[in-house]
Amino acid sequence: MRQPKTLQLVPITLATSICSYRGLRPEVCLLSLLLATPLLKGDTPQGDSSQTGPSVLKKLSLEELSQIEVTTPSKEPQEAFRSPVAIFVITGEEIRRSGATCIPEALRLAPGVEVARIDANKWSIGIRGFGTRLSRSVLVLIDGRTVYTTLYDGTYWEVQDTVMDDIDRIEVIRGPGGTIWGPNAVNGVINIITKNAKDTQGMLVSAGGGNEEQGFVNLRYGGSQGQNLNYRVYLKAFTRSPEDHSDNRNFDDWRAGQIGFRIDWKRDNKEAFTIQGDMYDEEAGESVDAVSYTPPYSQIIDGNALLSGGNITSRWSKMLHEGNDIQIQAYYDRTNRHEPNFGEIRDTFDVDFLQRVRWAARQRVSWGLGARLSHGNELPVVSGLTFTPAQTTDQLFTAFLQDDIGLIDNRLALTLGTKFLRTNFTGLELEPSARLLWTPTAKQTLWAAYTHAVRTQSDVEEDFDLSGYIATTRSGIPYFAQFIANPHFAPEQLNGYELGYRRLIGKRVYADVATFYNHYHDLFSEDIIGAPFLDDDPPPTHILLPAQFRNGLLGYTKGGEIAAEWGPANFCRLRGSYSYLHMNLGKSPNSGDVGTAPGIVGSSPQHQAMMQAAFDLAKVLQLDLDYRYVSALPGQLVPAYSTGDARLAYRVNRQFEVSFVGRNLLQPSHPEYGGDPGPLVGIKRSAYVQVTWMK
Amino acid sequence: MGFFSHRSRRRPDRSKFAVDGTISLWLLSLLCLTASFKCQAAEEQVSEHQVKAAFLLNFTKFVEWPEAAFGDGHSPISICVLGEDPFGSALDQIVEGEVVEGRRVVVRRIKEPPLAKQCQVLFVSPVIKDVSQILTSLGPGVLTVGEGSDNFLREGGVISFVIENRHVRFDINQGAAETEGLKLSSRLLRVARSVEK
Repeated sequence: MRQPKTLQLVPITLATSICSYRGLRPEVCLLSLLLATPLLKGDTPQGDSSQTGPSVLKKLSLEELSQIEVTTPSKEPQEAFRSPVAIFVITGEEIRRSGATCIPEALRLAPGVEVARIDANKWSIGIRGFGTRLSRSVLVLIDGRTVYTTLYDGTYWEVQDTVMDDIDRIEVIRGPGGTIWGPNAVNGVINIITKNAKDTQGMLVSAGGGNEEQGFVNLRYGGSQGQNLNYRVYLKAFTRSPEDHSDNRNFDDWRAGQIGFRIDWKRDNKEAFTIQGDMYDEEAGESVDAVSYTPPYSQIIDGNALLSGGNITSRWSKMLHEGNDIQIQAYYDRTNRHEPNFGEIRDTFDVDFLQRVRWAARQRVSWGLGARLSHGNELPVVSGLTFTPAQTTDQLFTAFLQDDIGLIDNRLALTLGTKFLRTNFTGLELEPSARLLWTPTAKQTLWAAYTHAVRTQSDVEEDFDLSGYIATTRSGIPYFAQFIANPHFAPEQLNGYELGYRRLIGKRVYADVATFYNHYHDLFSEDIIGAPFLDDDPPPTHILLPAQFRNGLLGYTKGGEIAAEWGPANFCRLRGSYSYLHMNLGKSPNSGDVGTAPGIVGSSPQHQAMMQAAFDLAKVLQLDLDYRYVSALPGQLVPAYSTGDARLAYRVNRQFEVSFVGRNLLQPSHPEYGGDPGPLVGIKRSAYVQVTWMK
Repeated sequence: MGFFSHRSRRRPDRSKFAVDGTISLWLLSLLCLTASFKCQAAEEQVSEHQVKAAFLLNFTKFVEWPEAAFGDGHSPISICVLGEDPFGSALDQIVEGEVVEGRRVVVRRIKEPPLAKQCQVLFVSPVIKDVSQILTSLGPGVLTVGEGSDNFLREGGVISFVIENRHVRFDINQGAAETEGLKLSSRLLRVARSVEK
């Protein structure tokens, strides 16, 4: 049985909120900066020997200076560097140079993120462990909209898309972010931020194709109305071929189309308003196990998931006066999902408010409120997979309060805060955190954090009746295990302890180390709760082994990530990272769990390493190479693998660029994760050509 | 139950991939290393702070200070850098030998907020916190310049650098300039990305 997808809800709490760690402007949200790159490049004054050295610059006029292109792609490098969180920012430029054609593939650029492709249109993504197809406990946002379904507290990656060129950056936070981000930001937050419409003016057309990416096209047009109003509209479509199936059941072909717009208005840098929306429609091939109480009881069906949806988000921010600004955001999101064994239609409404006030000399207080309603209509398709009740409206109400306190000069700062949340499943829950930041010099940052986070229960734990066919007895009675809805499922709990250090060494080397110890309890388990019995509702008569989702697992994870960047020369940049993860989970003494823990532990890699090199061979020629190693996943029977990508781009003239991209080049195919019925799906070596025209 | 895909799988292993990827890793580093020897030949690009340094000098030509901002008629125009200096030697090289309105232009690096008449241009490094406190403690006649955040203007700064599409631009808070007794030329206002009243 496989599952649904679609939705989104979750608390979002304003993408912005994390800005409050260091007080960035809310509409931009989050540390806008690049962790790695920026410092290297921005802070590297050149000698005076060149054509563009100081002796030339000093003669230029104001207007000419405004026209010079500089080497720093980042906006405010300091912000990420000085944040007491394990954050990594993937820039739009890095995404473009990686040749990634979709968001999950772009996430491979961040350390500590486990990206495993299950087949052409499905991924398992985890942060610091717990990677699954459903990416539970990782909160994902696109422009402040939570794209995560309260159906099971996870993300359907195949319907999260946009024009890759329009992505400004992806901020990946490893570790719990519950205080600001709300429930389910347990193991991490992935915050996808698209460009302001003023940065996407003009026409962009890109198209291409290859063996896997059989054909794709992106069209985008950006215009403006006066100085303060900018907009863009886009259309994208692609068709993708199946991956490598040893049994030739090539079910995972994928076709999708999406359109959208964004309008940005601002006044005097004091007030801004954004409205944006998207609509998509796709067919994603899949293979599912359809279980029913009537023969043939269990059937593998290869078919298409028909997925469509739309969303609209508006956001208004205003500076009331100095050191006091507010933001209000509201969105509506609709997802339709029709799979061979499951269907769901979901409508989500969400409103958030955020205010940040400078208070006394050294304090910055942020607080916010949020409310979300998500109505899900679960469509029964097979009798082995139903919800009781079939229609529910999930509710979430949140409030948070955070104070950022300067302790000693500019060197030591303490951030204290908590989230208060309540859902239709839970009473009041608190998610407090304390973060300490020490910056002994401008080139070093040391930080430590304690955070408590919860994953609130979802429809799947509380309302879900899921059956698995086991066998037919000699007398001809079918025998099933059934997960019975558990209205007493409790939130999963995490206490996280983190320590991090960042350093700029000389002008050209940057290093970031983050370590963690996370203690979990009340984790999801699958318990046998009684002896088998005869049941005839629904008919025909069958034997049921009763089981239930409960909170029987506990344990800890520990590990760390090292990321470094080195720019030996202006035209060359090397980046590397290594992530280590140790998971130790087991069942609590009174749990009837049957083997869930080893499956979880064995589905996240213990070691991951990555190395990337970017070269500007000439002004018109870029070369990017990357290599990655992922250790084995015994829980998925996936051996360790290493592979690499390459991209060569030639800029023919100002408007026209051709690029050649090869992915997974080191072997004909390799599996990265299980999840589909049948043998493991191999991810193929692939290549495509893309032409881009912009004006 | 395969609802949750972390369930253990019981399937034969088929490990037919393998290639030793470490080779490519070494290749990469080698490429970069050799490249670094040749790097001087490559075209130089301009760093963000070189351009910002040139802007700082340029600002002095388009701002009129009140008499009270200077010690006397011969005092230089001092461009002060408070906190970490992001400019390196670029600012010194750009300012060297410059004379504006009969006054020499000099660079000073300071650790404490300046005394009255000590600085005519004050660049406040983003490392500095409590910016609003520093800004309010300054005497009149100081052109304050920050970077990287809208907050600098909100807190009373006059000019704030921003990077937009890889270009260095700046925003102006004209109200703050008036409070400081500074007259900004219309040309400066025109080049600015935005001007707050």
